[in-house]
Amino acid sequence: MMYTIYIERDSFLHRLDPRVKIISSLLGILAMILFNSPYLLFILFTLLSLSLRFFGKISLREQIKVLKPLIPLIIITIAVWPFILEPRTFGLFIGLGYALRLASMAMITFGLLMTTTQKELILGFIKLKMPYEIGLTLTIALRYIPTLFGLAQTIIDAQKSRGLELEKGSFFSRIKKTVPILIPLIIASIKTAHELSIALESRAFGASKKRTFLHTIQMKGKDYIALIFVLLLFGLALYARYQLGIGYVRLY
Amino acid sequence: MIEVKNLWHIYEGKRIALKNVSLSFGNEIIALVGPNGSGKTTLAKHMNGLLKPTKGEVFVDGINTKNTSVAELSRIVGYVFQNPENMFFEENVFKEVAFGPKNLGLSGEAVEKRVKWALKLVNLSGYEDRSPYSLSGGEKQRLAIACILAMKPKYIILDEPTTGLDERSSEGVKRVIQNLRKEGHGIMLITHDMELVLELAERVVLLYEGTKVFDGAVDEFFQLNLRNYEMEIPELLRISKSLGISFVRNVDEFVNFLLERVRT
Repeated sequence: MMYTIYIERDSFLHRLDPRVKIISSLLGILAMILFNSPYLLFILFTLLSLSLRFFGKISLREQIKVLKPLIPLIIITIAVWPFILEPRTFGLFIGLGYALRLASMAMITFGLLMTTTQKELILGFIKLKMPYEIGLTLTIALRYIPTLFGLAQTIIDAQKSRGLELEKGSFFSRIKKTVPILIPLIIASIKTAHELSIALESRAFGASKKRTFLHTIQMKGKDYIALIFVLLLFGLALYARYQLGIGYVRLY
Repeated sequence: MIEVKNLWHIYEGKRIALKNVSLSFGNEIIALVGPNGSGKTTLAKHMNGLLKPTKGEVFVDGINTKNTSVAELSRIVGYVFQNPENMFFEENVFKEVAFGPKNLGLSGEAVEKRVKWALKLVNLSGYEDRSPYSLSGGEKQRLAIACILAMKPKYIILDEPTTGLDERSSEGVKRVIQNLRKEGHGIMLITHDMELVLELAERVVLLYEGTKVFDGAVDEFFQLNLRNYEMEIPELLRISKSLGISFVRNVDEFVNFLLERVRT
């Protein structure tokens, strides 16, 4: 079972300051919203994939693996548009554009997560002025995923031992059968959250407004250069879209 | 009879949890002991089909667990998990116990009979309308046993049945185990509680680093140097040994020995 999608490599993207990666990802997602032409979005998607391959040392197979769960959503996106827009071929064309936009946005997000550890990510957000409490909440939430998965497995085993057959029955009866799994899991999660909050308070959480960090991050020359490069690219995207009218197809 | 034959279990093709373990277990109270990570729970999960062998075979009354679902095996082998709360989801005790028999496809009347019988056996009659979460630790443990018992399995596996319980609750659980034995169930106790082993077990199987290192009588087990296996003998045995008293099971036997000695 996959708890984190971070892939440990020694690459340019891995070494880049998390703040630069977070800002770049946000700008990248915004840039994708600017365009809807499948031609341009295909080129951007390919460039993204190649960047991850060469600057992040993330193989194409690894990229496909994380995008796989999105395939149903991508198919639905392509299939729905021909019913919305006339003629149908135009709808399909636009559907392809939106599917590529979705895949590109996912690729940017996964690219960030595959090249940045959870610790760095949270630190990056906090240094970007996100409140520490939210950062800590995020860290704890991510850290508890394996624990919750283990607990869910134990609960499934316990209920199977009481004769529960999760694999049998219609779709709806299978959904109903998850109740004996979900209720103990939710109760255990709430209890854990409560105990955790007491444990945090007993270790003086929130006692001082000014806090220090054990690990910290420092922007270096290459980080500034990368940030300037990304900002220039985003400016170029805005210019292409609004001044040159590239990459946008009118829908109506 | 549950028969484990040359069982190997390797998790995700990497970590070897069980190495060539063989044992059989029938109408008796058997204690499965060993330090953390020795493979106790892995072995027990093979007995109701929750885990399938990497190599070797497990037979439950002649049925190969490899080709049988957990639901089918749950009619024969009951498994009470360590944390009872992991199985509770119904609004009251009655419904909680009824869940298993309903899964077996029993009629409403039969389910009711089974629930009443199981609750009586674990001394929880009268608790039918209480929420499972409102019970004390010992009561929850007994309820968990009742949930499994209501399915009338021939064999019952109890994973750490006394862990985290106070003396009184622990005694309550021990009485239930004795009742189950009287009812003719085969019982496997997975435990670190050496006093429980001393008091109730008829046979002990010791696992260490995935290998069965001992399988025999309780008095022979306590003659082993348990520190080699990261365990300690119970205080009662330590005292009785230093007084030169032969093997005793509980405080009553110990006192009787002492009185006998004083008299002679």
